[in-house]
Amino acid sequence: MVKEEQEESSNRPDNTAFTQQRLPAWQPILSASIVIPMFLLIGAAFIGVGVALFITSRDIQLQELDYTGDDSEHPCFKCRTNTEKCTCSMTFSIPTLFKGPVFFYYGLTNYFQNQRKYGASKDDNQLYGDLNYFTSPSTDCDPYTRDSKNMPIVPCGALANSMFNDTFTLSHTVNGVQKIVPLDGKGIAWWTDYNIKYRNPSITPLINAFNGTKKPTNWPKPIYELDTTDVYNNGFINQDFLVWMRRAALPDFRKLYRRITHDDYAAGLPAGNYTLTIAYNYPVHSFNGKKKVVLSNVSWMGGKNDFLGIAYIVVGSMCVVMSVVMLIVYARFKFAEDV
Amino acid sequence: MSKEDVESGLTWEVKANSRHYHKHKQRKSFLCFTWGRYSDNVVRSHKYSLLTFLPLTLFEQFQRAANIYFLLMVVLQCVPAISSIPWYITIIPLLVVLSVRGLKDLASDMARRRCDSEINSRPCDVLVSQSFMTAQWKDVCVGDLLRIRRDQIIPADLLLLSSSEPHSLCYVETADIDGETNLKYRQALGATHNELTSHPSEEALGAFNGVVLCEEPNNRLYTFRGQLQWQGECFLLENEHVLLRGTVLRNTDFAYGLTIYTGRATGADTKILRNCGKLRAKRTQLEEVFNKVVIGIVLSVLLAALLLAIGAGVFSYQVMTQTSFLSALVVDGNPAYNGFLVYWSYIILLSPAMPIALYITFEVIHTIHSKFIGWDLEMYWKQTDKPAEARNTSLSEELGQVGYLLSDKTGTLTQNRLLLRQCCIAGQIYGKYDEHIRYLAKSPMDLSWNPFSSGGLRMFSPTLVETLRGQRCPVTTQFLSALALCHTVMAEWKEGSPVYQAASPDEETLVGAARELGWVFLSRTRDFVVVSELGATRQYQLLALLDFTSKRRRMSVLVVRDPEGGLKLYCKGADVVILERLQKNCPHQESTEMALELFAEACLRTLCVAVRSVPEALWERWSETLALSAAMATCERDTLLEKLYDEMERDLLLLGVTAIEDRLQEGVPETIALLQEAGIRVWVLTGDKKETAVNIGYACRLLHPESRLLEWQELRSAFIHEILFCSRRQILQSADPQVSFFKAKQTELWATHKEMARAKTSVVLTGSELAEFEERPEWGASFMSLAEQCQSVLCCRVTPAQKAEIVKLVRKHTASITMSIGDGANDVNMIKTAHIGVGLAGREGGQAVHNADFAVSQFRFLQRLLLVHGRWSYRRISLFLRYFLFKTCGFALVHIWFGILNGFSAQSLYETWFIALYTVFYTAVPVMCMAFFEQDVSAESSLKFPELYKSGQKKELSSPRKLVTYLLYAVYMSLVLFFIPCGVFYNTAYDYQTMAVTVSMAATFAVTVEIVILTKYWTKFNIAALCVSVVMFFICTRITHSTRLFQSSPADYFFLGVSEKAFIDPVVWLTALLTAWTAVLPSVTFHAFNVILSVHNKHKVYVQIHNSSPPPVELTSRFARGSSLRRSSYAISQGAGPGRLIHSATSIQRAEALKEEKVS
Repeated sequence: MVKEEQEESSNRPDNTAFTQQRLPAWQPILSASIVIPMFLLIGAAFIGVGVALFITSRDIQLQELDYTGDDSEHPCFKCRTNTEKCTCSMTFSIPTLFKGPVFFYYGLTNYFQNQRKYGASKDDNQLYGDLNYFTSPSTDCDPYTRDSKNMPIVPCGALANSMFNDTFTLSHTVNGVQKIVPLDGKGIAWWTDYNIKYRNPSITPLINAFNGTKKPTNWPKPIYELDTTDVYNNGFINQDFLVWMRRAALPDFRKLYRRITHDDYAAGLPAGNYTLTIAYNYPVHSFNGKKKVVLSNVSWMGGKNDFLGIAYIVVGSMCVVMSVVMLIVYARFKFAEDV
Repeated sequence: MSKEDVESGLTWEVKANSRHYHKHKQRKSFLCFTWGRYSDNVVRSHKYSLLTFLPLTLFEQFQRAANIYFLLMVVLQCVPAISSIPWYITIIPLLVVLSVRGLKDLASDMARRRCDSEINSRPCDVLVSQSFMTAQWKDVCVGDLLRIRRDQIIPADLLLLSSSEPHSLCYVETADIDGETNLKYRQALGATHNELTSHPSEEALGAFNGVVLCEEPNNRLYTFRGQLQWQGECFLLENEHVLLRGTVLRNTDFAYGLTIYTGRATGADTKILRNCGKLRAKRTQLEEVFNKVVIGIVLSVLLAALLLAIGAGVFSYQVMTQTSFLSALVVDGNPAYNGFLVYWSYIILLSPAMPIALYITFEVIHTIHSKFIGWDLEMYWKQTDKPAEARNTSLSEELGQVGYLLSDKTGTLTQNRLLLRQCCIAGQIYGKYDEHIRYLAKSPMDLSWNPFSSGGLRMFSPTLVETLRGQRCPVTTQFLSALALCHTVMAEWKEGSPVYQAASPDEETLVGAARELGWVFLSRTRDFVVVSELGATRQYQLLALLDFTSKRRRMSVLVVRDPEGGLKLYCKGADVVILERLQKNCPHQESTEMALELFAEACLRTLCVAVRSVPEALWERWSETLALSAAMATCERDTLLEKLYDEMERDLLLLGVTAIEDRLQEGVPETIALLQEAGIRVWVLTGDKKETAVNIGYACRLLHPESRLLEWQELRSAFIHEILFCSRRQILQSADPQVSFFKAKQTELWATHKEMARAKTSVVLTGSELAEFEERPEWGASFMSLAEQCQSVLCCRVTPAQKAEIVKLVRKHTASITMSIGDGANDVNMIKTAHIGVGLAGREGGQAVHNADFAVSQFRFLQRLLLVHGRWSYRRISLFLRYFLFKTCGFALVHIWFGILNGFSAQSLYETWFIALYTVFYTAVPVMCMAFFEQDVSAESSLKFPELYKSGQKKELSSPRKLVTYLLYAVYMSLVLFFIPCGVFYNTAYDYQTMAVTVSMAATFAVTVEIVILTKYWTKFNIAALCVSVVMFFICTRITHSTRLFQSSPADYFFLGVSEKAFIDPVVWLTALLTAWTAVLPSVTFHAFNVILSVHNKHKVYVQIHNSSPPPVELTSRFARGSSLRRSSYAISQGAGPGRLIHSATSIQRAEALKEEKVS
């Protein structure tokens, strides 16, 4: 009988939870007693994180040296407009031990490395070591694809062409004697950049791979001579080159130059006077840029960053304030209802 | 073909039995070229073939602006100079969208194809060289002779040549064409009838060589012009000679026809196929608002791009040219040109702000909502095995916003299943309730003596049966004879007993009741009616049939009774009409009038039955005049006929009154009460007379027993005063009716208390009064403002066109969504005019359903359709649209802010793959789950608290203000998404790619939190979708940043290794979390405040509703009202009765001719 009925009513919809929209479901019912404590809790958590961040950030030591030389008093002023090789040096003192490991950054401001055309002006295939792109680089590199004699440029593009080329030496004055602080340039670039993204052509010696190509116009020496002492730091996998090629996010940025991890300075820079000698090559005067050297140590959260901690505290406080407002509103309603 | 034929428009030539002649002229087509005149009979409703599918579907899809827009984007992206993101980022979603819709179209086309082939292979008999062979429909060709059997569907438009019935009559049912279920007559030409039935038919038909000249194929169903040239003679052809495709042959064993028009679909010739209208594409208000918002977004994007381009120009001029490392990048050294290129780049970059997947997702959601409607078991009607059906899938959210429900009465509110409950014969009432009670104890009324009884009588009156069987009372016998004779019902014999087919359900009921009581109508021919009176078969000669029209409100038959030979006129009609035509001092008049009052109080529909003995001489004179009238022009003839009929229907002797109950459908009063509580204004539009409509109005709780009925005179004077004395504006705005209607008379109209006025006033109008609106359009606004104050509006005596006019009036003067519901062909206009048309799949054929957007089987299913499905759907779709806007805009507008810090260079802040996958993988599924499953309150609560429905009517969730607020929220989110990471990463060693990943992460988190806030109903699908989406983000990001993909294409996957580093960096995580939380903070706060404030409010509302819930309503109405509630009427589906067809004036002449023949 039941079977018959089912056969007859062929149009009868299925009686399932899905078709009848009766899927079992969790319907959280929020109330003031959940919402207000939740807000308070989140606010407190944010403030907690913010305070932790702020304290951590405050403990990070930072030494910033502007060596642009805009000021005529500045030792580097002479180099500012000088197109010849120019060296200047700055002295600074560290009052207490600058805890290690110390990171040595150079910083630039007002420098639009995130400009689209500028950032796209490179040939990933060429940098990956593909010889086909040595002879005919991608048009992305225009107008830095070929030089005036129509020779292909390797590495092509504006990004590579504008590579930062100031060099620094740091010396510690110990008992009136200048002692060079050893700077470690190993491993300052990303592992993936060094090992995968950028590859030298598998031709030895490296120079042969660059036959028939030209160095970027602004470069004093070709890419295969960036570090002639170390095969693994030469060509496309030169650490400084890799650091430069990783574009900055915003117009004011820092890039890691070296780390101070050696010998006497592994525990940090002891208190005392230091001299920073700069081989001043890179022009920033034209766009009102600034050049800086930054010495900093790091914590679990990386470099010094006050903004994040403050932002956490502000947002957390907003939540707390909001929860108080809610409580007042709720109390007034409650009161009104009771009356 | 002669010149004359061309001039007269008869250019379609069909030669019988000459397949070859027509075959070579058959229409053929190749690509878009067609030639030949006659289409074949193959149904081709499918659109695509293997070859044409791709171009056609692409053509159709690119007619949509959105698709064109995105195609344009793809084209722009292919230009290297401006390509800010690679071309494949847009083309992937576009391809997905195109293929989803393409597949959907293909699937429905396949379904049509299957359906077509089923129709094409239906069998039919075709005459091939003097014998009938079974062929398939698709093989039928113009000029073929066909044999149609009983109950077969007619495969093409045929000229009826002869049939198995006398005079080559045949009966067809046209339900598929006009929805009318009554049978219609068709008759062959006398010439073909005589010639083709005298010989063995196949031979005669084989030799038939007539040529038909007629009009070109057209879509006029009720006219046909043509001529048959045969045997040197020329016969005129009319509509009654033609059998249309799709009609069904009934009551006739065989009919032979000549195929005139064939085919279907494009270029089809048959009339019905030329008439197949398509459903008007309706667009919901929400969609329109949304389209405007999308246009707004596009314009803002263009504006933003322009500003950014100007910025780029200035930047190029001021900064780049001065900057050594950038100067060479200024294209052609021209900042303006640079800005121009950047403009296009930004248009591309900001294009994700316009949601590409929106329309397709929207469609998918609509489809699912429609499915839910069809799947609902509580809207499944077991008796007819019909679930509810959403025929138009794109309107579901409007069901949640209906402000006006305009309903038909008969068959919609009532069951349209009429039962004879009581009758009054010679002043004596039978079938009274107390009689029922008295006899109920004994046994059910015994009708076993009557072999024709089928147990359909619901009147319980053994007294009447006794009186009848004893033949004690001649008036009773006459009454029953009148019921059995005076009608236009057709009898069809099935399994040894007659089955009645009637145009009017009242007649069917009355004839059926007479049959139960022993007066069995057996059959009718054109001139005779055969009735079995208590077993004795009698033949009455039918002299004249004075047909029913809505103006006359009565019908009569003039019969000669064998063997006595006396002429009798039986008449039945509305009480007012009959009572004024009675002879003086008619017996039982007073008692009958009292009975009428009683019946009216019991909500029964009454008809008076009367008789007149007609003197022979009067008949002679009368019939002569009638014969004269046949030759006159139509309009003159009509007036003359009316006069003639009036002359005949006089001096009547009252026999009695029938009382028919048209029962309300189950749950109608509750439904109307519930819908009114939900803030829906229910209007009833009916063709019935005022009294009937008002009574039904009371019965179904549309009108409250205490409510004041405003009628036209009062309204009219109010309007006139209003126009004269005060500006309309005042009226509309003034809250106090006493101010607006300052005249004493007007204030009297309104209850002094405004609340009272709103609750207890109803407007009753009739069609003729409504016609005045057309003359004075300025009254429309006044009327609507008044109607808004009223509980309900009842319009009676309205024509189908007027029904549509009323809907238009409402649509014009209010911003509310209108919904029409009806079941008959007369409701089609109104169903099509309203925002939403609902067809009731009832007894009156499928016409209403075919034109409706939704089809349900019972009026009470509207409760669920509106309050549950509509409300949910509205809520789901509004939330969906809002969220979709938010997530796409919030994510895309980040580029504007980033532009400020990257020299307006159209640099993307996201990895290109993230842009492509964000809309598809990371955020689409949770919101779709919400749009499928979201329920803020359960179905039961939705029905319990109809007040909740009001938020949809007020467009609380979808107002343009709300959408704009949400857009502003999206702008806020984009600001937060950029500037917080910017603050963190400024002047640090973090690179651009890490920042990109951080912002993507924050965006994904923010939109995920937002959907968590919006979702109130967490099914396992929602939870799974949410988790999968977030996990997808991490997985897909890792994949696109993987070594393998980079090695395969370094230029496309240059984010190598970023996520590897970023996903373990605490700063990235902390920044993303902070950004996401800050981005959603306004929304979270808003919802939290809502929780705190609404708990209080809702509680109050619920308590209020609960306390004032209506008491259970009884189905039958309790009448506690005064007199003059007679409901004497006659329901008929057409304006005029079918009497003319049955017994036209011409047929009277013919009958006489036949009689003479017989005599001779």
